Amino acid sequence: MKYVIIGAGVAGVEAAKTIRQKDNTGEILMISKDTDVHSRCMLHKFIAGERDEQGLDFTEKDFFENYRIDWKKGVQVTAVCPDEKEIALDNGEKISYDKLLLAGGADSFIPPVGELRKASNVYGLRNLSDAQAIVKEADLAENVLIIGSGLVGLDAAYGLLERGKKITIVEMVDRILPVQLDKYAANAYQALFEKAGVRFVLGRKASEAVCEADGKIHKVTLDNGEEIPCDLLIVAAGVRSSIACLEGSGIECDRGVTVDNCLKTSKADIYAAGDITGLSGIWPNAANQGKIAGANMCGGTEEYNDTYAIKNTINFFGLVTLCVGRILEEEGDQIQIKEDKSQYKRVIVKDGKVQGILLQGDISHAGTWQYLIKNKIDISSIQKNIFDINYADFYQVAENGEYQWMS
Amino acid sequence: MHMKRIVIDYQKCDGCKSCSIACMQAHRETQGTVYDLDLTDPHNESRNRILKDADGQYKPLFCRHCDDPKCVESCMSGALHKDPKSGHVFYDETRCGSCFMCVMNCPYGVLKPDTVSKTKVIKCDFCVNAGGEPSCVASCPKQAIYVEEV
Repeated sequence: MKYVIIGAGVAGVEAAKTIRQKDNTGEILMISKDTDVHSRCMLHKFIAGERDEQGLDFTEKDFFENYRIDWKKGVQVTAVCPDEKEIALDNGEKISYDKLLLAGGADSFIPPVGELRKASNVYGLRNLSDAQAIVKEADLAENVLIIGSGLVGLDAAYGLLERGKKITIVEMVDRILPVQLDKYAANAYQALFEKAGVRFVLGRKASEAVCEADGKIHKVTLDNGEEIPCDLLIVAAGVRSSIACLEGSGIECDRGVTVDNCLKTSKADIYAAGDITGLSGIWPNAANQGKIAGANMCGGTEEYNDTYAIKNTINFFGLVTLCVGRILEEEGDQIQIKEDKSQYKRVIVKDGKVQGILLQGDISHAGTWQYLIKNKIDISSIQKNIFDINYADFYQVAENGEYQWMS
Repeated sequence: MHMKRIVIDYQKCDGCKSCSIACMQAHRETQGTVYDLDLTDPHNESRNRILKDADGQYKPLFCRHCDDPKCVESCMSGALHKDPKSGHVFYDETRCGSCFMCVMNCPYGVLKPDTVSKTKVIKCDFCVNAGGEPSCVASCPKQAIYVEEV
C-alpha cells in the first residue's frame, strides 16, 4: 500500500503517524512546498530572532526515520489525477498513490487593493518562507505597515518590535482582534502594543497603493486620504484554501475541499484534512482531522465529530486571553462580568446555556468552558456563581480511571 | 495500552489538601523540606487541586494522562507528548510556545499557565524525577488516590 500525503503541516504529520501505527509495512510519502517542518503559530518567534528554523519544528526527534516516512520537500503539486491515481509535481515528476491525503493547507489572501499583489515588498505571514522573507526585507526597512489586526497581524508586529521597527497597523473594524475580543479586552492589548511603540489606525481601509520604480510600495493611502509611509507591508487579511492544484481533477470543492464526515473527498481513495478543507482554521482541529483521515486511509470508519472551532487563546506581553464561542451580544443574552486589577471575565448565557466566554488575565483551569459551550450544557440548575462553575459540578470517573463527561 | 494511573476514590477524600502541599514541595525550585515550603510563594504551584461541588463534596482534580490526550492534540510546539512506553503525558518547557491552547483544550480544566511568568504550563509529571510513586499519592492519609495499572 502506498500512502501519499500532500502537506507537512500538523494535519499531514498526524495522518502519517496514525497511518504508521495502523500499517507497519505500507509506504508513506509526504510531499511539501515547505522545506522545514514548522509550526505556523510560532513564526513570530522566528521573526523576533527568538528561535531558528529547528526551533519551530513541532515533531518529535527523528520523526521521519522513526516512522519510516519518505519526504519530498521543496516541491509543489501541480495536478491531481484521480483516474490515473497519480499526482504531478512542479519538477516534472509523476507520483502514483493508492491512498492520497490532501493536507496542503491554505495561502495568505492578499486583497486586490492597488498594486498590493504586484509589489515585491508585500508579504503574508503563513509559511516559514514568508517569515524568512520578512526578516530579510526588514533589514532594509524602517517603517512597517501591517494590514489587519487579527492574530496574524499582531504576531507579525510582536516579532518585528524585537527588530526595532516602526510599525503601523491598519484595521477596518473599530477595535483590534475583532473576531476574538470585545472592546474592553481588545483595548488591553492595544494599550500594550502602543506602549511598545505600535501605532494603530482603526476603522480604516487601505484604498490605494502604487509600486514605485524599485517595484516596491512606499506609501499606502487610506480611505480617509491619510498616507502611511512604509518599506515593508504585511497583509494579514485571512487565508484561502490551497485548492488551485486541484483544478481539473474533478474533486469537489467549495471554499475548500468538500469532505464527508469521514473526511473523504468526492473521489475514491482521496481524503482531505486541515485548513484545505476550510472546516476550521485552528491547530487542534487540524491535528484531529489528520488523525481521523489517516485512520480512514487505513480502512477505518472514524468520523470527525469534534468540529467546534470558535475558540482561541492569545498571549502577548504576558497578558493571556481565552475566548470560546460567541463574543458579540445578541437579544435575550444575559451577560455577566467579573473584573479586578488582574483579570477580566465575561460570560454570555442564553436559555441556561453558556454561549461564549472571554477570560483575560487569568485563564487557569478554563478548559471546561469549551466543553460546556460546544455541548450546550444546561447550567441553570447549578447554584454557584457562574465563574466558580468547574468540573466538580460534572465530575465522573470512568472505569479506567479517566474522567468523563456525562453523555 | 497498559499504564500506571493515579486512580481517584473521591468519596474518601476529606479535602485536607495534603496532596497539593506534597505536589508543591515536589516541584519547588528551592531546596528544603515541607516545613519551610513557602505556601504563598507563587513559584510553588500545585499540579493538582481539590475542588468542591455545589453540595460540598470534595472532588480531586488530577491530570489523568488521558488515553487520547486533548492537550497533546492542541500543542503546536511539540512540548507536550504522550510517552509511548509509560503512557504518561510529559511537558518540555524548553519547546513550549506559551500559546496555552492546551489549557483551553483540556476538557476537565486541569491545566493552567504558571502564575509568575505566564510562559509555562503547570502540568503533572507523575513525579518521574522524584523516582517511583507520585508525591501526592504518598501523602494522602485517606488512600483516596492510589496508583494502579490500568
